[in-house]
Amino acid sequence: MSGGARRVLEAWKLGLVRYGDALRLQERLVADRRAGRVSDLVLSLQHPPTYTLGKRRTDHNLLLPEVELRGLGAEIHRTERGGDVTFHGPRQAVLYPILSLRTIGLGARRYVEGLESAMIEVAALYGVKARPGAAGETGVWVGDRKIGAIGVRISSGFTCHGLAFNIDPDLGYFKHIVPCGIADKEVTSLRREAAVELPPDEAIHDQLVQSLARTFFFSDVEVKDESECADMVCLSAATQS
Amino acid sequence: MALRLWASSAANALKISSSAARAAPAYSISRYFSTVLDGLKYSSSHEWVKHDGSVATIGITDHAQDSLGELVYVELPTAGTQVSQGEAFGNVESVKATSDVNSPISGEIVEVNAALNEKAVLINESPYGDGWMIKVKPSNPSELDALLDAGKYTKHCEEEHAH
Repeated sequence: MSGGARRVLEAWKLGLVRYGDALRLQERLVADRRAGRVSDLVLSLQHPPTYTLGKRRTDHNLLLPEVELRGLGAEIHRTERGGDVTFHGPRQAVLYPILSLRTIGLGARRYVEGLESAMIEVAALYGVKARPGAAGETGVWVGDRKIGAIGVRISSGFTCHGLAFNIDPDLGYFKHIVPCGIADKEVTSLRREAAVELPPDEAIHDQLVQSLARTFFFSDVEVKDESECADMVCLSAATQS
Repeated sequence: MALRLWASSAANALKISSSAARAAPAYSISRYFSTVLDGLKYSSSHEWVKHDGSVATIGITDHAQDSLGELVYVELPTAGTQVSQGEAFGNVESVKATSDVNSPISGEIVEVNAALNEKAVLINESPYGDGWMIKVKPSNPSELDALLDAGKYTKHCEEEHAH
């Protein structure tokens, strides 16, 4: 990277956010980023139980009727991101980087590899040897068990959606889908794979943010915490038509 | 159609002049090499246009397909749809990333490449040939003048890559 230039990644720590609210916030932020009103940033959050489908609408990978999934207390959302069906829930770290890939000089493939490597780096902090997926199996794996998922949308080089890293979510929810469209492979979590005790989730979120910043050549991370961001999320929720 | 390879990074590393790149070396370092065809026009967002009389064919460049990775899905509009210069007309999916594809010109779509529904990877295999995406009747042919020629597009790729 060019010497000396200070490149700051803002980290917005949002706590627990409903999927729809996070989506609307991302739409606003991508427009802001495009217009230069905000700089590169990453949203760091968790979702209540939520199933999401990507652009390809692979409904066949939902193994229960929607009404039954809702009966389990989960929301269901159809999105414009790449990737297949997945589950988000409490104790799963979700990061949505809103970046200008053209400024960083990356294409989709190298961006996604960067997301994978950030999760791999953090898993390694806990003694867990994770690896990127083979061709067609984008994501982060420990052996044959999936610990991290990726689904991204890129519009004129601006990113939204991102990654989901299982710290210790209720893995039972994954039984009702074919996760990421890959049958007969298990889903796992850092809690299951690590031999050491885990710190509070917030520490792991912070480590993921730091790892992302390093991977994408940022020199600094500036943290905005929940109190500063809460208005932003509410504003997006309130302006939903 | 003449081929041009951009390879100034590799040329510098190998201490050969880039004008010698026309006599292409037997090997290629894929990270630094990308095919750019003379006779096409290009957008800075890595789409190409081939203008043939009243119809313009549009696709994404070799550089674009390489940086996307293997494509698994392509979403295209239907014939009859209007497109505007610089706006997305469809999207492609690779490595769990959905990426918009922008139209370099404005006009009406007269044909889309249905083969891509079955075989998205055609775009990777033949980005300037069988992997074409849409054909457009240009509404404003002067827009083509504002696009990059092969030389300028090559330079644009090199500058982007120099991060």
